[in-house]
Amino acid sequence: MTSRWANADDDAELEAQRQKQKAQKRTLKEEKQRKLEDVKIAEHQQAIAEEPEPSKKRQRTASPSQETAKEDAHLIEFPSPSYAPSRSLDLYQVLNNIEEGSYGFVSRAKLKVSGDIVALKRLKLDHRSQEGFPVTGLREIQTLWACSHPHIVKLREVIVGSEPVQDVYIVMDFLEHDLKTILEDMDDPFSPSETKTLMQQICSATEYLHSNWIMHRDLKTSNLLLNNRGEIKLADFGMARYTSNPPPKLTQLVVTLWYRAPELLLGVEEYGFEIDVWSIGCIFAELLTQEPIFQGKNEVGQLFAIFNLLGTPTRESWPGFRSLPNAKALHPLLSNSQSSKSNLTASKFPYLTKAGLRLLLSTLSLDPNDRPSASQILQHPYLKEDPRPKAKEMFPTFPSKAGQERRRRRLTPQAPDRGEAPKMEAGDFASIFARSSEEQSGGGFALRMG
Amino acid sequence: MARHDSLAAISNPLINPKQLLAFQQQHQPQPEADTAIFKLSLLTQTAGVLLRLPQEVIATSIVVLQRYITASTTEIDSDLSLTRADFTPTSPLIQSSSASLYLTAKQSFYPLSPRSIINAYALLTSPSTSPLPLINPSAISLATSAAPPTPHAHFVTEGTYLARLATLFTTEQYILTTLSFSTTVTLPHPLALTYLQSLSATPPALASRTLSHLNAALLSPQLLYLTHQPPALAVAAIYLSARELGIPLVDDEVPWWEVFDVGREELGFLVLSLASLDGFVVALRENPAWI
Repeated sequence: MTSRWANADDDAELEAQRQKQKAQKRTLKEEKQRKLEDVKIAEHQQAIAEEPEPSKKRQRTASPSQETAKEDAHLIEFPSPSYAPSRSLDLYQVLNNIEEGSYGFVSRAKLKVSGDIVALKRLKLDHRSQEGFPVTGLREIQTLWACSHPHIVKLREVIVGSEPVQDVYIVMDFLEHDLKTILEDMDDPFSPSETKTLMQQICSATEYLHSNWIMHRDLKTSNLLLNNRGEIKLADFGMARYTSNPPPKLTQLVVTLWYRAPELLLGVEEYGFEIDVWSIGCIFAELLTQEPIFQGKNEVGQLFAIFNLLGTPTRESWPGFRSLPNAKALHPLLSNSQSSKSNLTASKFPYLTKAGLRLLLSTLSLDPNDRPSASQILQHPYLKEDPRPKAKEMFPTFPSKAGQERRRRRLTPQAPDRGEAPKMEAGDFASIFARSSEEQSGGGFALRMG
Repeated sequence: MARHDSLAAISNPLINPKQLLAFQQQHQPQPEADTAIFKLSLLTQTAGVLLRLPQEVIATSIVVLQRYITASTTEIDSDLSLTRADFTPTSPLIQSSSASLYLTAKQSFYPLSPRSIINAYALLTSPSTSPLPLINPSAISLATSAAPPTPHAHFVTEGTYLARLATLFTTEQYILTTLSFSTTVTLPHPLALTYLQSLSATPPALASRTLSHLNAALLSPQLLYLTHQPPALAVAAIYLSARELGIPLVDDEVPWWEVFDVGREELGFLVLSLASLDGFVVALRENPAWI
């Protein structure tokens, strides 16, 4: 409805006028905007024109598209250490002897300049040898140098003795204890949480080695050093070497007898990281009971000790073991149909949980393929369940023997010398196993005499 | 010295400027020293091939040998002179070549008996039966002649063997202590193949040319393996090979070498060095006075 005052014509005129004004305003505004932009562009062009000459380096980069690229590309600085002749033993003052390792003497010494306490290990150099500088010594230096891990002992340098006898010493960080001595001197075994801390550290060092293709081949409690800050460091790489897949030609005469895996005792030609895991299993058992778990007097006795506790291997538990070089010697034993049942039960380890026992049994699997890898052990529920591993800061400390006095002679057998692995004959076993069937099978507890 | 670093896997200990200067001052005049380094490296390479060692071991032993020669610039080792180079089997230079090959093979997966080494070097250094023209000028005619060389010229008697064995072991120990046992060498070859893959440069000809350049660089009198890190060597070999074969890599404008932490300047220097080796060898062949 229109208003009665409405005058249609006037209104239309007014409306048209208003629209016209609006349109004018709009064009004005647009023009202003355009002018402003023009100015901006001009300023910009001027700026570009005034921009200083690109630097020499930029000129060298071929095209203008490169102008955006950073002229000082971030290049990594490589560490460039040099090589130089070995320093001399004269820099150190020898304090006291610690022990005789698998193939060298270890003593405690002080770096004269800084007062740092270090461990010096003299490599045994056999001058009548037919191979020149011993390859084991070379491998020890080569592998230790390649390693950088909180739980592997640090190689500081390699030094030479004074003329005319050119002895070679490797200089390592000094640690107060070895696990073997501590276990011998303790009244009670480590608590479950301490055991877990130790296992975790041992396995992380082993995992590091294995992921770098290094086999240690002589893991045992006396090669595990411990400082007063609750840190384990793996030492003595005298048997260590690089391996490959497929493995190179390897000697079977490795690992100290008590920690040697059954496949090595049976003369396996090709072996891998599983032999280190077996040794870890032996160390684990030793941490729990303070006693080495298998203490054979020789190769045959060692196999006997293993089979006595873990049962004899069967086709199911260890497929293919019969084709191993020394397996023929086992026939008299196997035909006797010994119990193939494992005697390794919870009753032997009163403080061990079910998960812990499972871990122990899997690391001590006769079939190397059944053993977990070092990284699998680290993921094992045993290390995750309560009680949790004890923080290393809370670890107990011990009086140091290596620090002040000569250590007592160790009871563990030495790591084997290089050479031919002994062959086993059927006769070797016949005598030992002859009466074993008459023996009492392991009970739930053992009476310890003396 | 210690290789405790995340970059250790792709780096090497290098010669420091002081050592390099001392080395150059000790071995004058330069052209003769250059020739001697080339000859010695070539001899080690040939011995390795003759003994069927993989190139990995041979390359390592050449680098160890070069490290030893450059590190032992004291008066004690003055008989290791490159300018009065003497290439008879008992000379210190030949001994260090055989000892570094023996030492490297021993640490590798392919150990050799000392006897094989001694026999191989006796053959290669014999002035009448050696297949190397640098040692036996008649080697080329020897290869084409129907009559086989007489084995008497390089036969090693038991007495000679024992004497050389003793020297081999002494030299081995010298090398070890002179280098403070740093006998591990990171080679650029595997790096080069990885780099080629990440550049998506797959022609086999390019890879093989790259490896050839890296192997040739081992013989360079400029001691490239002592002065440059493996990534730089690998990148330079790839760059030069791609240029030679006309294979376009990444868009030419992009400084792809920076991805592998090699600067333009270093790359340029290395490419020139690699490319100049050819001219060096040609000149050597044409100028018998240097040999």
